[in-house]
Amino acid sequence: MSSPSSTISVNTATSTPGHRVLVIARHEYRAAVRSRILIVLLGILVVATAASVFIASAEYAGRLADYQAYRAAAEAGGVARIAPSPLAPLSLLRGAMEYLEIIGAVVAIALGYLSVSRERSNRTLPLLLSRPVTPTELAAGNLLGALGVIATLVAVTAVVAMLCVGFIGHDWLNGIQLFKLALAYVAAVAYMGVFYCVGAIAAAKSKVAITGLMIALGIWLVVVLVLPQIGDTLDADNQIPGGLFAALGLGHDGEVRILAHFTTYETIRTSIETASFAKHFERFAFAMTDVKERFRSLSLPDLFFQVRTDIAWILAYSIVLVIGLLRAFRKQPTVPQGGQQ
Amino acid sequence: MSRPAIEVRNLSHRYTTDPVLRDINLTIEQGEVFGFLGHNGAGKTTAINILTTLIAPTSGTAMVNGHDVVAERNRVTAGIGYLPAEVRMYPHMTAAENLVFFAELSGVSKPHEAVAETLEYLECSELADRRLGSFSTGMRQRIGIAQAIVHRPQVLFLDEPTAGLDPMGVRQLRETILRLNADLGMTVFMNTHLLSEVAQVCTTIGVLSHGELIYKDSIEETVRRFPDEASLEDIYARMESATP
Repeated sequence: MSSPSSTISVNTATSTPGHRVLVIARHEYRAAVRSRILIVLLGILVVATAASVFIASAEYAGRLADYQAYRAAAEAGGVARIAPSPLAPLSLLRGAMEYLEIIGAVVAIALGYLSVSRERSNRTLPLLLSRPVTPTELAAGNLLGALGVIATLVAVTAVVAMLCVGFIGHDWLNGIQLFKLALAYVAAVAYMGVFYCVGAIAAAKSKVAITGLMIALGIWLVVVLVLPQIGDTLDADNQIPGGLFAALGLGHDGEVRILAHFTTYETIRTSIETASFAKHFERFAFAMTDVKERFRSLSLPDLFFQVRTDIAWILAYSIVLVIGLLRAFRKQPTVPQGGQQ
Repeated sequence: MSRPAIEVRNLSHRYTTDPVLRDINLTIEQGEVFGFLGHNGAGKTTAINILTTLIAPTSGTAMVNGHDVVAERNRVTAGIGYLPAEVRMYPHMTAAENLVFFAELSGVSKPHEAVAETLEYLECSELADRRLGSFSTGMRQRIGIAQAIVHRPQVLFLDEPTAGLDPMGVRQLRETILRLNADLGMTVFMNTHLLSEVAQVCTTIGVLSHGELIYKDSIEETVRRFPDEASLEDIYARMESATP
């Protein structure tokens, strides 16, 4: 037993909104890092990423060796013009991006759900809000902390992927490739941040947080899995292997002429695809990681121009969801309504 | 004369159709230890929720330390401490980590020092490095009080603070309230239905019945006004039976 103190000093306590947001963010980060469920989900994502890039890199190493053998032979034979390498080491990260798109979104939803349900089950919301903390500061702090967790996760997967490409694929990324990779991962943080908001909003708006989790996972199912597939499934050219128009012997002009008769159908199909936030992230990430061959030869400004619509959509979704999160936290009941008098 | 610690005017609140609080008028001066008595469901917790800014009243005004609980929320919360009926906090964190977090939110300049001093003051420094999840009700209550006073508020709100405590815990809590009041001049607003506590700790009492404040006066005056009653319990029973 400690010896009792007979006096207690008076603190001068003042805090600013920025300070409180940072305190909450640090608290949120620590709580997330200590959550077993989250650690398991993060582990799955990192292992899946590593496995995907590892396998792709191993196959890539063979192709790179073939190219280098060809190049050596061409140089020895005095060939004047040697074909440049058709290989794109960044494209080995396709699987990593797809896992972020699918599993990363689930991890982010879980983060959002846990940050709301934790306060509810601990019944700490009244304690927090009896301090000079506004619901907006609470939402901002939680979001900032979650973005910290997401950025850490994304950084881990990025480093794992980079090392796999280097050590297994025997090809190290150059400066410009690293920059493009960094941009893809910044988009991944924004993408997962949006799904964090979806999870947190759904939980905050539901009387029972687990109902909110179910709703958020329903949204994930539609946005990440269903909508992007509808676009591809409804594409007339995808109806037979090798392409419908190619099988009919029609070139691009013929395809355009025929599709001109189906403008409403095509508009609906494109709109469905456009409505999918996941598709915009995928297009941007694939463009940055050289997955699509047509983007590989473009300069950075040209590349940005090509994906400007996707950048705009990612920004728009991010802004709308952050506003939604702030509103949901402002309207969240701090004490059980009518239950306790 | 200094401004009242708490000033409530024509305060009413309803969650659905039935009013929970009806036209409450109440003034509590600085340094008072106020016992808010009432049966279960009388509206005591709703009153504390309004005064701690957790819910906005349906009508009327409430001021704490001269600040309106709706219009000047942050000024009110900067000067109050709150201990809810059931103390939970974050079970995965140690007592000290919990307290530092709440101290930082209140902007305490040296949170670690303030936490150590508060725990020593409450004679529970040995709990600092233990996780809250393993605590008994009494231990949680002491850390809950530490949380409520770590930033040295002027007004302390306690909602049924003796609920679930053993006799020793109740006694410790009583002594702590009296010490806080004496050492820091802290105004204490305590919801309770334990009349024995009120008699030993409070300087003033208010009685809430079915959402209406039916009585408010000092303990001394109360005893003087009801000379025929043997105890505060008898006085309370008489007040309650007089209400329709």
